Amino acid sequence: MKLLKMVGSARCADRTPQRGIPTFLIVTAVLFLFAMKIFAQQTPTGHATDFTSVEYYTAPNQMRMKSRLSGAEAQPMEGGSLLIKQLKLEMFATNGTPQVIVNAPECVYNSANGTANSSGKLLLQNGDGKIRIEGEGFLWRQTDEFLTISNSVRTTIESDQKMAP
Amino acid sequence: MKKIYFIAIAALCGLSVRAQTNLIAPTNSAPRVTHIDSDSADFDMNARTAIYRGNVRVSDPDMKLTCVRLVADLPQSGRMNHIVAETNVVIDYTDAKGQTTHATGDKAVYNYAVENGATNETVTLTGNAKVENAQGCLTGEPITWNRAADHLTATNPKMIYRQNLNSTPAETNLPTANTNQMSEPK
Repeated sequence: MKLLKMVGSARCADRTPQRGIPTFLIVTAVLFLFAMKIFAQQTPTGHATDFTSVEYYTAPNQMRMKSRLSGAEAQPMEGGSLLIKQLKLEMFATNGTPQVIVNAPECVYNSANGTANSSGKLLLQNGDGKIRIEGEGFLWRQTDEFLTISNSVRTTIESDQKMAP
Repeated sequence: MKKIYFIAIAALCGLSVRAQTNLIAPTNSAPRVTHIDSDSADFDMNARTAIYRGNVRVSDPDMKLTCVRLVADLPQSGRMNHIVAETNVVIDYTDAKGQTTHATGDKAVYNYAVENGATNETVTLTGNAKVENAQGCLTGEPITWNRAADHLTATNPKMIYRQNLNSTPAETNLPTANTNQMSEPK
């Protein structure tokens, strides 16, 4: 994912001050890369707004979208983290059908450990919307695709079988 | 260990725990909705499992379940086919006639599968397992409720019959019950 690659660049950049490169240059470079890597509008304060980042499958499905991450605002934070607002993450199968859709008003993505977390709400649903998981306060571990929801978890499952009157 | 089958228990023992016939004969276009609520939960997307913890409540149109911990396989779509509920499991089921059945145990395992057009849907209770309704109370270890076939199976069962709603339940043991209401396993 392009955005994640960018975050990875930021993480590497965090180590360079030890070699004597001024921090402000690194931040400037990160913001520049940020603007180049994602389709976004950058505000005077350096925030990216209305951004979208797309990842594609590898060959032979390189023309197929694997995931699409979008947000209303992304703000780089210390330590290589990103504060993302109005997050929407869509994951697709190789045939293009949506598999998972995640919405969160706000979350912090930490590239150093590959986690995303928030004290706010989360809504996750499968492609057809028949399985919905929502809760408040979450931690997503990207490495092993493990999601923890801390509070008020509700899973709703709609099955095709019909109810009697 | 002596194993006794409770076959078509609604008819034989009066412990009417009918399987939901609506699964077989759809009569309404509304989808079946199941809710699982808990204090917290973990979702392993690789293993496609969900672990619900703390004050777990499951509800669907004809059943309520509460427990402390619940592990479920997450389906790609449609209904869950394997659920394990643990610690202080309480199940309240209401059949199509409005009759309620109350079941408790330390652990309940739900399995659902359709093979060659046949539905296999069971709930197995273990650990102080007990099933009761207006007609009586059944204990056993384990008690398996076959929802699709509409019968209960219990190992080392013990029955307490309620003569009527105003009388004290009369306790009996299974040899008596077995003579006219239960069958030995083949």
